[in-house]
Parts: sequence; structure tokens; C-alpha cells
Amino acid sequence: MIQLFNVFKIYEGEVRVEALKDINMHIKKGEFVFLVGPSGAGKSTLTRLLNREEIPTQGQILVNGKSLIRMREREIPYYRRNIGFVFQDFRLLMDRTIYENISFVMEAVEMSGSEVKERVPAVLEMVGLQDKGDAYPHQLSGGQQQRVCIARAVVNDPIIIIADEPTGNLDPETSWEIMNILLAINKRGTTVIIATHDREMVNRMKKRVIALDNGLLIRDEERGEY
Amino acid sequence: MRLSSVHYNIRDAFHSMKRNKIMTVASIATVAISLLILGCAWLLVLNSQHLAGTMESELEINAYINKNVTREDALNLRREIEAVQGVEEVAFVSKEEGLSSIQEKLGEDADIVGTVGNANPLPDMYRVKAKAADQVPQIAESLDGIIEVEKVRYGQGMVEKLLALTRWLRTVGIIIVVAIGLAAVFLISTTIRITVYSRRREIGIMKLVGATNWYIQGPFFLEGVMTGFLGASLAVIVLHICYSGIVNNVMLTLNFLPVLKDTNIIYTVYKSLLVMGTTLGALGSTISLKRFLKGS
Repeated sequence: MIQLFNVFKIYEGEVRVEALKDINMHIKKGEFVFLVGPSGAGKSTLTRLLNREEIPTQGQILVNGKSLIRMREREIPYYRRNIGFVFQDFRLLMDRTIYENISFVMEAVEMSGSEVKERVPAVLEMVGLQDKGDAYPHQLSGGQQQRVCIARAVVNDPIIIIADEPTGNLDPETSWEIMNILLAINKRGTTVIIATHDREMVNRMKKRVIALDNGLLIRDEERGEY
Repeated sequence: MRLSSVHYNIRDAFHSMKRNKIMTVASIATVAISLLILGCAWLLVLNSQHLAGTMESELEINAYINKNVTREDALNLRREIEAVQGVEEVAFVSKEEGLSSIQEKLGEDADIVGTVGNANPLPDMYRVKAKAADQVPQIAESLDGIIEVEKVRYGQGMVEKLLALTRWLRTVGIIIVVAIGLAAVFLISTTIRITVYSRRREIGIMKLVGATNWYIQGPFFLEGVMTGFLGASLAVIVLHICYSGIVNNVMLTLNFLPVLKDTNIIYTVYKSLLVMGTTLGALGSTISLKRFLKGS
């Protein structure tokens, strides 16, 4: 499903940064993968490449057999509908209700009004926030906001969820709740990739771990640890 | 972009116009003012062209016959006048015909004959049409040389002055309109840029979840178009009220002035103003959207 072949990403500038060096990996459909490593290891660069915000300096990336390098500009929006993003800082629209935050992204991909009315309550129920539709983000706790962010990421039925430090701002108990929601989503067949440096969480989950350090892939283990 | 999601764009455009009320009103006003000036200048030009055209078609010389000359002698002058170089057409207008034509122009209420004491004050006259406008002065001079002709009158000079005025109006009008039009485009594009900036978070999320550029740009483009159209509508409404007011007044008090009343031409002016306003709006928003969204 996701294949990287000899991927390099080098930023030329005053200081030359080799963000990714010769990365090879293969993530199959329905996998649950942790992407670990210290800050600056290349995790964020990798997610930006997968979202086609950037293209690699060298190498090939295939998603669902389709090359992200040869992809045309106007195909990018449609490609991105395959991926749902979850952020450390949630990135909710503060002047809109929870319901509107989610309906907003459905409208953005031009779903009809009836689809919106049907899907939004369903995903809110999935993350356990069915009675918070009329609340505003600031009225919710961090964990609840992150659940809204997850609901928003899955509402358009992506085949891949990429979560960038989803538990970075949350206490351990809440982190565990969030992880369980992501696990549930994974059980339905969605590929889940989580970039994190939450050592305890990774060790407890016993899932595939891909470790990056200084732009190099240093470890790739099934049922791995941090 | 799907046609069925246009209503999302329209809703968002209205939202943003409401949110940036002051800027929106300023943009609409600028468009309205520039198009109002354009409309005024345009109608003025059309009217003076109309006036010039009317005068040109009446570019004829009136040769008044001395009152002491008998009707017979007056009629015999025709051949002499026809012989003058450059004359195309000669028509004899007796004083009785002259009086009744004035009577007709002023309407039945005015009792001309009664006012002047039952005596016809008008002389017999010849109405001479020239082949070309520039021959009029020479013909007039020749006619003046005929002993029986007491006075010669023609409208030479007026037409030229009028055409010069038309040209001047057109140039000044265009300069003013271009200047204010640029200001309108600038203001609209600034308004839209502010809107884009205030919505940058939303735009970021939209891009991330795979909204097409068309969908993202839609509301901003519509906002510009609507601003332009509203401004133009305002200009047309004001122009229409003023112009019909002026026309009615002129027809009441200065009814010899040939004002332009052809509704087809006037409506074409209005329609063009609406199209121009909408284009200004589209231009303004396109400018501010041009670089935005490049690269994702």
C-alpha cells in the first residue's frame, strides 16, 4: 500500500539539511505502525512526503501503486482524500462548533448536505462525543478536542490515517483513550501511522515500530519497542 | 468542482462579506462611484453626439427675404439660389407656413397669432441645404449678396464646438474612470486578501483534506464578483433616477433641446456598466488569488 524506495530528502540552503537518507519501507494495507525517533529525525518530513506537500529529492514513493512523484498538480487534492490527518495541536477552527468543524471538511471535499447530515453524527458517536456537537472547541478538554480531530480525520473515509504526535499534549490516561480509538479505526481496515516519541505507549502497544534517527531508518520491527 | 457544492461557496462568500462589512461597503462604494462617473460621462457624450447629429442634419441656411419684396419676386429667386455653388436643395417657406410650424412646435395652447396682434411678423424665406458642412459659410455669403435677401442665418461653428466638447468629455471621462477603476480593483483585491488572511487556518485544513483549488478559491472569487455587481447596480440605480429626472425636466422647460430618450441605447449603457462592475470585481479577486494557493 505504501512503498518507499531509496527516498532522499535534502533541503539545500545556507545550511544543507539531509532530512531523509535512503529510506526503504513497505507498509501494508490495514497495518498499525509507530514511527519513532527524536525531534529532527525525519518523521515530519516523511509525513509531508506522504501527504504530497513535498516531493523527495531522490527515490520513489508509491501509494496504492500510484507514484507521488509523477502525480499531477490537479490530482493532488483527490489523492489527499485518501489520507486523514491527526495533529498534536488539533487544529480545530475555534469560531465553529464541533459539528461545524467536521461538516466543514466534508463540504471541502464537496459531499452533499444529506451525506453531511448522516456522517457527522455517526463519527461523533464513534469518538463518544455525540452530545458535544453544539459545543465550541474551547469548551472541551484536550482529550475531547483530540477526539474531534480524529472524528474529522475519519469522516471522509480515508484509507490511511497519519497522526503526528497525537498524544503529545495529553496526560497518560487520556492518551490511552485516544490510542484505543485509533486502534478501533485500524480494526475496521484503515492503515494507521503514528509518529510519536511516547516511549511508554509504544512499548505497551506491541505494534510495528519504524525508528528513524538523523534521517536514517535504523530499525523496523514487528511487535517492536521504542 | 461539483456544481452541487456551489451553494457552499455562495454561503461562504456572503459570510465573509458580512464579516468584513466596512471593507465590503468601501469596495462597493468605490465601484459605484467610478461607474457613476463613467455613466455620467457616457450619457453626456451620447447626448452631445445626439445633439451634434441633430444639428448637422439641420445644417441648413435660412435666407430671409426682405418684407418689401412681393411674393412673386420672392418665388422667382429660387433659380438664382439654386445656381449658387454647393447648394443641394432649396425650399421656399412662406411666412404663413413658418407661422403654422412654430404654432405646431409650441402646441395649441400658445396663441401666437393672437399674441402678435393678428399680424404675421415672419418674413418669407428660403431654406437652403448645403451639399457639405464646410461649404455652408461660402453659400451663406453668396446668398447674402442677393439684394432681395435681408438676412442669412446658419448654425455654423456650433457643430464643431459640440464635437470638440464631446471629444474632450470622452478623454477626461476615460482618464477619471481608469483612475477610479484602478482604485476599485485595488480595494477589492485588498479586501479579498484580508479575507484570505483571516481564513488561512481554514484554507490550510481544506488543502490538507483534499479540497480542490476551485473549491477553495470559489468564495473569494464570488465575493469580488458580488462586490463589483452590487457597486454597479448602485451606480445604475442612481444614474437612472438622475437621468430620468433630468430628461423629464428638460422636456418640460427646454423642450427645444434634443435629449437622448432612446431607451434601447440607455439600457445598453446600464447593462455595460453592470458588466464592467462585475468584471472589475472578478479582476480584483483574481489578482489577489493569483499567487495564493500556488504550490501546496
